Amino acid sequence: MDKNFQEEFTQIIKFEPPLYRQRYQFVKDLVEKYKPKKVADLGCADCSLLWMLKFCRCIEVLAGLDICANIMKEKMHTLSPLPVDYFQPSERSLTVTLHHGSVAHKDPCMLGFDLVTCLELIEHLEESELKKFPEVVFGFMAPRIVVISTPNCEFNALLPGVKLYRHPDHKFEWSQAQFQSWALEIARCYDYSVEFTGVGQPPTGMEKIGFCTQIGVFVRKYPQTGESVQSEKPTEAVYKTVFKAVYPSLKDEKYLQNAVIREVIFTAQIIKHRLMSKREEYSDDPERKSKSQSSMDCFSDYLEKLVVEKNMEPFVSGNEVYIPLATIFSFPKVNRLCGTFEKLCKLIAGKVTLSSDGSAVMFNIEHENEEN
Amino acid sequence: IGLQVSSGLQDLTLRDRGGRRRDFHDLGVNTRQAMVHVQESKTGFSGKMIKLTTNHFRLTSRPQWALYQYHVCYSPEMEARRLRSALLFQHEETIGKTHAFDGSILFLPKKLESKVTELFSRTRSGEDVKITVTLTNELPPTSPTCLQFYNIIFRRLLKMLNLQQIGRNYYNPSDPVSIPNHRLMVWLGFTSSILQYEESIMLCADVSHKVLREETVLDAMHSLHSQVGEERFRDACAKELIGLIVLTKYNNRTYRIDDIDWDNNPKGTFRKSDGTEMSFVDYYKKQYNIEISDWMQPVLISQMKRGRGNIQGSVALIPELCSLTGLTDKMRSDFSMMKDLAIHTRLPPEQRQRELGRLLTYIQKDDNVQKELRNWGLSFEYKSVSFTGRVVQGEKIFQSGTMFDYNPQFADWTKETRGVPLIRAVPMDSWLLIYTRRNYDVANTLLHSLLKVTPSMGIRMNKPDMIEVDDRTETYLRVLQQRVTPDTNIVFCILSSSRKDKYDAIKKYLCTECPIPSQCVLARTLSKPQTIMTVATKIALQMNCKMGGELWSVEIPLKQVMIVGIDCYHDTVSGKQSIAGFVASLNQPVTRWFSRCVVQSPGQELVDGIKACLQTALRNWSKWNKCLPSRIFVYRDGVGDGQLNTLVNYEVPQFLDCLKSIGTDYSPRLTVIVVKKRVGARFFAEIGGGLRNPPPGTVVDTVVTRPEWYDFFIVSQTVKNGCVAPTHYNVVYDTSQLKPDHVQRLTYKLCHMYYNWSGIIRVPAPCQYAHKLAFLVGQSIHREPNLMLSDRLYYL
Repeated sequence: MDKNFQEEFTQIIKFEPPLYRQRYQFVKDLVEKYKPKKVADLGCADCSLLWMLKFCRCIEVLAGLDICANIMKEKMHTLSPLPVDYFQPSERSLTVTLHHGSVAHKDPCMLGFDLVTCLELIEHLEESELKKFPEVVFGFMAPRIVVISTPNCEFNALLPGVKLYRHPDHKFEWSQAQFQSWALEIARCYDYSVEFTGVGQPPTGMEKIGFCTQIGVFVRKYPQTGESVQSEKPTEAVYKTVFKAVYPSLKDEKYLQNAVIREVIFTAQIIKHRLMSKREEYSDDPERKSKSQSSMDCFSDYLEKLVVEKNMEPFVSGNEVYIPLATIFSFPKVNRLCGTFEKLCKLIAGKVTLSSDGSAVMFNIEHENEEN
Repeated sequence: IGLQVSSGLQDLTLRDRGGRRRDFHDLGVNTRQAMVHVQESKTGFSGKMIKLTTNHFRLTSRPQWALYQYHVCYSPEMEARRLRSALLFQHEETIGKTHAFDGSILFLPKKLESKVTELFSRTRSGEDVKITVTLTNELPPTSPTCLQFYNIIFRRLLKMLNLQQIGRNYYNPSDPVSIPNHRLMVWLGFTSSILQYEESIMLCADVSHKVLREETVLDAMHSLHSQVGEERFRDACAKELIGLIVLTKYNNRTYRIDDIDWDNNPKGTFRKSDGTEMSFVDYYKKQYNIEISDWMQPVLISQMKRGRGNIQGSVALIPELCSLTGLTDKMRSDFSMMKDLAIHTRLPPEQRQRELGRLLTYIQKDDNVQKELRNWGLSFEYKSVSFTGRVVQGEKIFQSGTMFDYNPQFADWTKETRGVPLIRAVPMDSWLLIYTRRNYDVANTLLHSLLKVTPSMGIRMNKPDMIEVDDRTETYLRVLQQRVTPDTNIVFCILSSSRKDKYDAIKKYLCTECPIPSQCVLARTLSKPQTIMTVATKIALQMNCKMGGELWSVEIPLKQVMIVGIDCYHDTVSGKQSIAGFVASLNQPVTRWFSRCVVQSPGQELVDGIKACLQTALRNWSKWNKCLPSRIFVYRDGVGDGQLNTLVNYEVPQFLDCLKSIGTDYSPRLTVIVVKKRVGARFFAEIGGGLRNPPPGTVVDTVVTRPEWYDFFIVSQTVKNGCVAPTHYNVVYDTSQLKPDHVQRLTYKLCHMYYNWSGIIRVPAPCQYAHKLAFLVGQSIHREPNLMLSDRLYYL
């Protein structure tokens, strides 16, 4: 290679988006493709990848493992549920756990994962740890898919300022051939298939030096391991849990009930409001002549239709307004939450004031107009 | 152009959120040192002793504790804060595990071996960096920097307890209270501040409730649209939404809505930090996996303020992805909503202390938190501070030669003074009663009731001109133009709905163009037969005050004194105008008040206007009393956290300047007292083994006051439920030579003089009058009312 040409290149090699982002995006794309439910990130560092993955809706269990507890703690709070997760609990359940420990040790908490990622991890391992790594990840954890990324040392010549390794803590950096033979050996040994790819395109004309970051994607060839095999595995926990967040989910009866009660009362309130304002239309206030509702407001149209079609009219009796549960149940949001009418009745029992026969939500409007 | 989409959660730094550190606690404003007469003691003496506990907890540090402050610099210069930290903490064996670092200032609990320490690190790209750590300061536990540091550490602890930061406080998300009737959710949380108090450094912790709304901004827009219709939709959105604080769905940051960009929508693009353009739809999909469902919604704009209000670009937010927080004024006026909320937020003393106790138990039990505290050499006393306060005696209420005592438990004399003639009753010889046809009966009932209740008060009342109108704003105005004469004493309007525009139009006309006192009452208020007499009594009293009447008085032993009250109203809607209400007493028994107000446009200093107000007030006082006052007391409300310095250095000199300008031989004694209603301190009386609210008249001037101030607390009102909030008084300037006891007593007396409430209120009456005035002008009139009205309480 022409030396001048190469030097010229070192000036301009810069990845956009940055390489680490490209690695994360690679994992995200993989998640989109395979829809894993349980994902673990080994060497999760400041949890950036985990934070990105928590937005992927297929994932129900996220785990991170790192040898350094401090770096995990630095930003682990970003993995906590947000206010919106509490007032709009999502359909899926999600648990995020961070463990402090080494990839050279087996811990049962790492069993049963669909996807395990090890981005820029192996090059930080001491020789003894690297030796144990395949058995822990592929033999013990045995997830469906494993992603391993590591620097491609053939690319280093193009990176400005890199002398020996890209990071002082790196114990080695492999060429494509070195990485691939290591990976193929593992695949053979633990019955996985492996495909090689990478991120960080080499410049045109230099394709043969390969990607800046080389990636191996391993897919398990045999089906899910049975219970019997797992029971032979050691069950002693060696990792220390440093963080755990259980996201509110509608799968949890408590959150489902709250969500249903909220939605029922809210829907009933709207219906009541419409009913009352209709009754007030006969006032002598010319400015309040009910203007025809705009297109944005499809709610009232819907209500009209409903009342006409199914005869589920809300009504006023004395100081009370009654809104039939059947009407409320027919609203899409309530319907979706509960599924069946019986479930609706069960969930709101004792929590929402109902008419004596339990068929309608009841509001007392006597004190409505009271003011301070 | 300058748009930037919000980034992830900001990590803990030594700076407050939003960049520049703000001194919320007014540290370093030392006003007491200039007042010789309170150097020795600022405590009063009158009243009965009472045993109190509070929500303060002592902070203790090990002996000879100091905080070491270092300056850290890099060669070659490193820009990124994260990189700077990473490079520095490669040397944990030298620096230690316990540290706080903001990128350039490093705090350590220990002293490094030498004054200048040089460290060498290498970046990922192999660059060698020399780090120089220089000791710049050895801070004693009481230094302002150290106090700020304690606060940062404490916030760090709250974070470690998995509490979530919303705005300035921390909340516990795991046990929310849902109020489905109003689509609200309440989170329990804590406010905390660590300060140097009279004798020791203490943590003042209080229970705080965050009201979160389940609605998104888009939901709110939809419901506004259905309420007001197409034409008024944008105005209504601006009115309702601008100024609100929203919480974004995808991260945990709060923003203030400053504007709505109707020309933009989620398909619009913005420039990312790397310079590329991206649409909002794509960005949220890519970054957070969020699908924006409504592509036609407008975009919200939030200004990023840095430093002294310099705008540093803005953030664009998608309404659908923003949930609303807090309460709007409209919600606050919703009685049933506030009632439902109060059940959860108004904790009685025992329960409040119990919740606080829970926080301290968390702190005590959490290993990580304890370790962090130990590493810094700090600890808390887990029992709150107790001390003795005083309850000053109740005031005697004078009304037309009769003297009343009130029951101190209720702090109210409505019953006692019923049917007693007023000090000054203004006759209603000529007045208008305006109502709509629907309210004809209501108008008649009201009139009968007024005729029944006024004679015993000594108010002479003729039959009014009864005018029936249709319920249009224009009709009201036309009637007012045609029927109000110079002889009209007052105009009474019965309104059929609480529509603000009608009320505003009436008030505006009658306060500016045609200065006549007016009384607007909702028909609903008058429609209940069982309460009509009580309501009529209140209205009669209020109208009498509006026409220049006087109701009762308390004994004010000082002579030739003028009392001033100032409060501000900040218009959050248009966001631009601020209004200062200014009232000043006119007579010896302080039963009559002169008032003016300052409408301040952006960029204009408030003090110029206030100076002019004070000048006119003095002129009026001398007209009434044939001399100038020899003492002036200014009760200044509406001073925000961190504004004390400005007040002391700019406003007070302006007052003095103004007095000087009156005449060379005129030098009255001036006392300026800053009144603060929103304080974190709570006091509980230990009565019968339990905790109760302290009785009205409780004065606290030790232990939890600040050594550098001449300050005290008074609990003046009572509350039916929840905890009573004490009011904080900070005497920032005082040449009165009065003993602290007398200043305290005078202040408490003035809390009895607010005529719209026959009881004791939370602040001195002039502050409440000033508040009322500023509110009326800010909400409805938007310009200074006619000075013809200035000697009456027309703004009640």
